[in-house]
Amino acid sequence: MKIMAYIRSLTAKFFHRSQIAEEMEEEFRTHIQRRADDLERGGLARAEAERRARIEFGGNQRYREECHEAMGGAIVETLMQDVRFAFRALRKSPGFAVAAISALALGIGANTAIFSVVNTVLLKPLTYPDADRMVEFLAPSSVIASNLACIPEFHFYQRQTSVFKDVAAYDNAGPGFNLSGDRPEQLHGIHVTEGYFRVYGAPVMLGRTFTPQEDSPHGGKVVVLSYGLWQRKFGGNPATVGKSLSLGNEPYTIIGVIGKEFVSDPQADMWLPFQFEPVSNDMNHFFQVAGMLKPGVTVEQANAQLEAAAPQYHRDFPGTDPKQQFAVGSLRDSIIGDARNSLLVMLGAVGLVLLIACANVANLLLVRATGRKREFAIRSALGASRGRIVSQLLTESVMLSVAGGILGLGLGFIGVRALLAISPAGLPRIGEDGAAIGIDWRVLAFTLVVSLLTGILFGLFPAINASRSDLNSTLKESSNRSGTGFRQGKARSVLVISEVSLALVLLIGAALLIRTFVALHGVGPGFDSHNVLTMEMSLNGDRYQKTAGVAQLLRDGRERLNAIPGVEISASAYWLPIDVEDAMPFQILGRPVQKDCCFNKWMSVTPGYLSLFKIPILRGRDFTENDKAGAPGVALINEAMAKKLWPNNDPIGQHIMCGQGVGPELDGEPERQIIGIVGDSHNSGLGQPADPMMMVPIAQVPDGYAAAYSDIQPLFWLVRTHGDPHQVIPAITEQLRVASKGFPVAHIRTMDEVMGRSTARQSFNMLLLTIFGVVALVLAAIGIYGLMAYSVEQRTQEMGIRMALGADRGTIRKLVVWHGMRLALIGVALGIGAAFGLTRFIATFLFGVKPWDPAVFIAVPLILVAVALVAVWLPAARASKVDPMQALRAE
Amino acid sequence: MDQAQILPGTLDLLILKAVSLGPLHGYGILLRIGQITNSALLIEQGALYPALFRLVRQGLLRASWGVSENNRRAKFYELTAAGRKRFREETAGWNRLATAMATALAARPEEI
Repeated sequence: MKIMAYIRSLTAKFFHRSQIAEEMEEEFRTHIQRRADDLERGGLARAEAERRARIEFGGNQRYREECHEAMGGAIVETLMQDVRFAFRALRKSPGFAVAAISALALGIGANTAIFSVVNTVLLKPLTYPDADRMVEFLAPSSVIASNLACIPEFHFYQRQTSVFKDVAAYDNAGPGFNLSGDRPEQLHGIHVTEGYFRVYGAPVMLGRTFTPQEDSPHGGKVVVLSYGLWQRKFGGNPATVGKSLSLGNEPYTIIGVIGKEFVSDPQADMWLPFQFEPVSNDMNHFFQVAGMLKPGVTVEQANAQLEAAAPQYHRDFPGTDPKQQFAVGSLRDSIIGDARNSLLVMLGAVGLVLLIACANVANLLLVRATGRKREFAIRSALGASRGRIVSQLLTESVMLSVAGGILGLGLGFIGVRALLAISPAGLPRIGEDGAAIGIDWRVLAFTLVVSLLTGILFGLFPAINASRSDLNSTLKESSNRSGTGFRQGKARSVLVISEVSLALVLLIGAALLIRTFVALHGVGPGFDSHNVLTMEMSLNGDRYQKTAGVAQLLRDGRERLNAIPGVEISASAYWLPIDVEDAMPFQILGRPVQKDCCFNKWMSVTPGYLSLFKIPILRGRDFTENDKAGAPGVALINEAMAKKLWPNNDPIGQHIMCGQGVGPELDGEPERQIIGIVGDSHNSGLGQPADPMMMVPIAQVPDGYAAAYSDIQPLFWLVRTHGDPHQVIPAITEQLRVASKGFPVAHIRTMDEVMGRSTARQSFNMLLLTIFGVVALVLAAIGIYGLMAYSVEQRTQEMGIRMALGADRGTIRKLVVWHGMRLALIGVALGIGAAFGLTRFIATFLFGVKPWDPAVFIAVPLILVAVALVAVWLPAARASKVDPMQALRAE
Repeated sequence: MDQAQILPGTLDLLILKAVSLGPLHGYGILLRIGQITNSALLIEQGALYPALFRLVRQGLLRASWGVSENNRRAKFYELTAAGRKRFREETAGWNRLATAMATALAARPEEI
């Protein structure tokens, strides 16, 4: 009731202003007239009666204002007054308003853009139900830290029912499946165990998911479709369930469709059952495992349980590394991966840019406040309190920052699209082309808070400064000389110094990343990537469960490829030289047998792989077509492996035995003789040193190994061309389709593109930080220039006097330059200190350069000093051109 | 006739009292107060209005435009339920204060 009355009173006051005024006027008028009537009746003349009535009533205007106040809402009213006043004040100086708003819009826009990516990737919860109970299984051992698991480990995890509600295995990437038909295409299908849909809470839209029977060996060929594939291939027909889908020329029964909202990890068009053997000693690590903790169980408790159960696992499988541990980690962290660090660094960097923009605007405000000193002095002489003046000035600055924020939101929206256009492939969680990134309440709230905070941040300092003026002296001071006082100068100097030091920090970060980028591109990868085309093919079907079938396809295919005009040579492999992820234990024959003696990378290739990539054969010979099944086993090793294992003698001619204890997949692996040493290539990525590695001919691998590869990942076809590789693509796809009897090729890329992708994250970081650094440099330069130009203008008279007293132009110039450069140098010194402390946060992004790289720490400050010198030189030159007569006469 | 300066805070109570006897317009309230206090209190006429606006905002009075006894348009004030309640509370409070003050001031040395 009372609140309603209050609201009615406020509504009347603010929305029916003129009506209220009229009514008040009428009420007062009738009062006075009635009084006059009464007085007239008491015997006064009408004119006298009316005069008396008005006197008795008292100050008409005063009571009207008191009535207004009595209606409440004083704060709102003051605020509205301030806003109106601020609006008028800003409209009177449009140049200032435009400069300030655009600086802020840039700063806030950049922050909004980076934040909306951070929001999507790091802050938004996973879309899975109970996402905080979802974990990923890790198996760090003494030889490798890996998130890949083998079947016995999976079964071991499944048995820990006291802590896990469900455990599910899924393909790391998946082999891909060839959809047969008129237009064959490769579909992205991944193998999962039947628990996958429960762990991920996948909503079943039609039909059902796998039964445990279907997920057992010989459980039949069944498939669950994603919503997208169902729409694309079946037009969303509800009768799709029960139909069959032909994958690699074999029919699979469609048993269900998963709902549209499900975000698959990893990305997939469809899901097929793994059909693991219930009892297995296959030690091949080829899939990932995720689990759902039981309600109330923490990650720590689950890890304690896994640790306690580990000895039993090692007793059951005596061949395993007893140092091998088992652990779980939050699935969310694993999905986000190392994107977290770089995003947070970018957010920090863009925050610094905003701080610099704030300092610049604060500087502008200080200048403006100087010009308005008399205005404030007059206002306080008329009774405005200091708080009132500060709040008036803050209203102005918050209005500026909110205007900047609104523009910034728009800029941020454009910025985010630009960001995605240049962002590396594989930022997690951003959806198809960043579709998942948008403006939501978090982004809006962020922008709002940032806008208000910046408004207060850059506004408070000048406001307090302005309100502190000494009334008496300001009013007496002539207007054009005010504001050169010591305190004013100090405040602005502090701002300029902080701008310079912040800009230096950003520039040093950018320079370190540029050095990293250059270093990465300067790395000789160990092979020649030009004019090489890579493409993938999924080997589906029984034929490719045997080495002979795979070898036959590769021989046919290469013969056809080599016959294409323009093709220099072709080859096949399961890995590209820049990224080899398979590794194998082995023994060196003739040395005492020891457990876990040797373990390093290994890959199988066809003949031609080395010549195609121009990987040098340092000694010995390359594989030939004669190194086939049944022929004596052979292997090539790289230089790193030779140096590590045969530091003092010749590895060529030595015999090795691979894959003992790995399980049935390596049954039939022959003893191999080392026939050559090849040059190292950066097989773990350009930023990493070359790891020891062994190569074997694909034709000589055991059947189990061939089958495993056909099931877990696609094969690479590789072609070196004489000219532009793109021109032979149609011929290549056609020949491979014929050779494989209808399989399509997918992901056709030049090797140069593949290399570009591998350093995309670094280039992205470098590009962003360089943009921020340059913006910071420009802002800081404008800051110094503005300060010096203003101070020269204010001191024209002083310069004139100095010159009249005999100072020459050089002295004057030196005076101004030194004044400005002193600030810049202090800023540089502080910035170097800060950068020393902060560059360690980007240490993990650096390659080939130390976080305290002396070249960077010397060159960047010099660049900044040079820019600062230009910025102070211009005003200094102007100061030295002052005509003493004119300067003195102007007073 | 001597008039006493009105005590701070008592104007609101006087207005509530005046209006509790029936809806009145501003000038009417002034006359009614003069009448019930025998014109013993000095009230600056204009000062009545801020008090009226404040009481309306507090939800104690309701204002509405109507026609007065001599056919002139006027804004009438009347008590709301909350106003009536407040009037009772304030009256009781005032009476307690007045009694206490009267007793205190009437005290003589021999009574202590």
